[in-house]
Amino acid sequence: MLVEEFLAPKILIVSGKGGVGKTTVAAALALVAARSGRKVCLAEVDRKGTLPRLFGGRELNYKPAQLAPGVWGMNIVPEDALGEYLEVQYRMKRVSKVFSSTHFVDYITTAAPGLKDILVLGKIWYLEQGRQGGRSPQDFDTIIVDAPAAGHMLTFLSAPMGLSDALRVGPVRRQSDWLVEMLRDPARSRVHLVTLPEEMPVSETIETSEAITHKIGLNPGAVFANAVYQPLLTTSEVSALDEVMSDNDPRELRIRAAEVALRLDGEDLEALVGYARFLEARRSIQTKHLRALKRGVQDPVLELPFLFSAGLALPDIETLADVMEEKVAAL
Amino acid sequence: MNIIRDLIRQKEVIVCAGAGGVGKTTTAAAIALQAALEGKKTAVITIDPAKRLASSLGLKELSDEPSKVNARKFTAAGLKPKGELYAMMLDTKTTFDKVVTRYAPTPEQAERIIANRFYRNISGTLSGSQEYMAMEKLYELHAEGGYDLIVIDTPPTRNALDFLDAPKRMTDFFESRVLRWFLLPYMKGAGGFMKVANVAAVTFLRVVKKIVGAEVLDDTAEFFGNLEGMYEGFKQRARDVAALLKSESTSFVVVTSPALDSVAEATFFATRLNEEGLPFGALVVNRVHPHFGDDIEVKPRQISRLEKGEPEAQLLAKLLDNHEAFMRVVRLEERNLEALARKVPRHRWARVPYLEQEAVDFSGLIAIADELFAG
Repeated sequence: MLVEEFLAPKILIVSGKGGVGKTTVAAALALVAARSGRKVCLAEVDRKGTLPRLFGGRELNYKPAQLAPGVWGMNIVPEDALGEYLEVQYRMKRVSKVFSSTHFVDYITTAAPGLKDILVLGKIWYLEQGRQGGRSPQDFDTIIVDAPAAGHMLTFLSAPMGLSDALRVGPVRRQSDWLVEMLRDPARSRVHLVTLPEEMPVSETIETSEAITHKIGLNPGAVFANAVYQPLLTTSEVSALDEVMSDNDPRELRIRAAEVALRLDGEDLEALVGYARFLEARRSIQTKHLRALKRGVQDPVLELPFLFSAGLALPDIETLADVMEEKVAAL
Repeated sequence: MNIIRDLIRQKEVIVCAGAGGVGKTTTAAAIALQAALEGKKTAVITIDPAKRLASSLGLKELSDEPSKVNARKFTAAGLKPKGELYAMMLDTKTTFDKVVTRYAPTPEQAERIIANRFYRNISGTLSGSQEYMAMEKLYELHAEGGYDLIVIDTPPTRNALDFLDAPKRMTDFFESRVLRWFLLPYMKGAGGFMKVANVAAVTFLRVVKKIVGAEVLDDTAEFFGNLEGMYEGFKQRARDVAALLKSESTSFVVVTSPALDSVAEATFFATRLNEEGLPFGALVVNRVHPHFGDDIEVKPRQISRLEKGEPEAQLLAKLLDNHEAFMRVVRLEERNLEALARKVPRHRWARVPYLEQEAVDFSGLIAIADELFAG
């Protein structure tokens, strides 16, 4: 598949269970989009704050700020979205301040759950519409939404459908219809899921993916399986290693080491083999879960490698973006 | 002496807290399991366990009472518990209903509240209701359950601290002044008030009505009308729960992984517990990569020469490369943990290595417990 095609809808929603690297994947996707010349808005929903850390910058707020070449970041806070909505819709600049108080939003979203989500999606719609034919700083080619964790995500994305069902007439009904159209139109939006090759994330992803397509009727994109250990040894290397290590004294490896002036004692060799075995053990667990994932979802599964750097930063995101481009091209 | 073992011997309540995805539920279950083995009648309250973990504890559905973990699970694993292990998956809704029933002056009033649409939304979706109910259930089991020890997992909130504020946030919400403004015209006999209510309030109402519809406002007013007279009960209970959490009988176990984000959150959390006067007990550092061969020193040049050599040399190159990659992770983790040690001294830690198997079944739990209680 062409990267262009993969990036075609303006709105790309990225979701997954907490702790699976959803934000990292959203950031990598943003880089891929920016590399193809797009102006990208990477939007967090309701201040989680992981995004700015990846780009080494300060906290994000409601107004988009540049994070990297071609990439802007913002944080869609429902309170701010409500303020903006009331201002634009009802010209209630002063009153909107009181409205945006947390208690008010708490109250109103409890009375009508889903309203918070509608406010956030409304802001995304507003961003999507653009303002001045692409010349405003608020106009973006691609909007990547780092959506709430999967459990909440389904509620989040099905909120407009619920509201449209509940209201028969009125401006809010009309607006929630716009959101439903936006979410259901494959030319406008697509949902990508992120998961880990582990028990709980995989089973949750299978359920979510099913619900996205069949229950709420959105457009599924890809499933990114994150932090997948890459194979280290070929089958013949594994048996070669077994043979070498079955000796009490793995002379063969020591000789090779000595040839490049490297001194390895028995303990060192055991350590080397220890990590190889550890990797294999974790990998075989992952393989099992990846198989279950591929069986369970209809969307293409794109594997992203485990990165041997616990403190993810921009260079790591660049690496993931490279891999993402390759994997998309191979689709 | 192992720090967590001290806790299960001395405490009545252990609260496991931490960011999502760090193994909080597993840690809670492993602590409870060990306590049961050592003779305590233990209950573990889980919030959202993995399916296989839940079924390994014999849990099939949400409930509001712990059920006993079958002794056969232990025997099958070659263990003889001196105590008993109970487990539950918290049912927020049912727990909330029970709270309402407890504080309502009459059963009819309780029924009216439970049937109310606004209430049904609260018990399901209001942020904090899950945390609130977890604390509520904890309090109830501690007071009336007859357990020696209760281990509680905290909900997977975006922010590990949310549950600390949950009871207060809920009671504040019930009493919010903004709410009263809204509800005045909907409350019986309050018609006169509207005339004097300020312009902002009237504008509020008009817009809210437009947005959410008049029915919703009616439901809401009815709910708060029915709640009249129950606030004091809620608040008293919230104070009792807070007192239990601060007491000598309770201890907090903060769970983290060595990843940067999770360490940052754990540090913040430990500091916050301190500020709130809540008893921090121990830190569990989960999923630490194993440490092999620290002193191997190899230069990239040596590896690239090996890569060009015989099959055995190539094999060695791969092993060295892989070792170096893992060492990079280990060093980064150490650096993150170093920062953590400046806030929480290492003698308060229990480390659980990244195991080669998953902790999703009973034997996996035992493996985790073995690591947690090693030494």
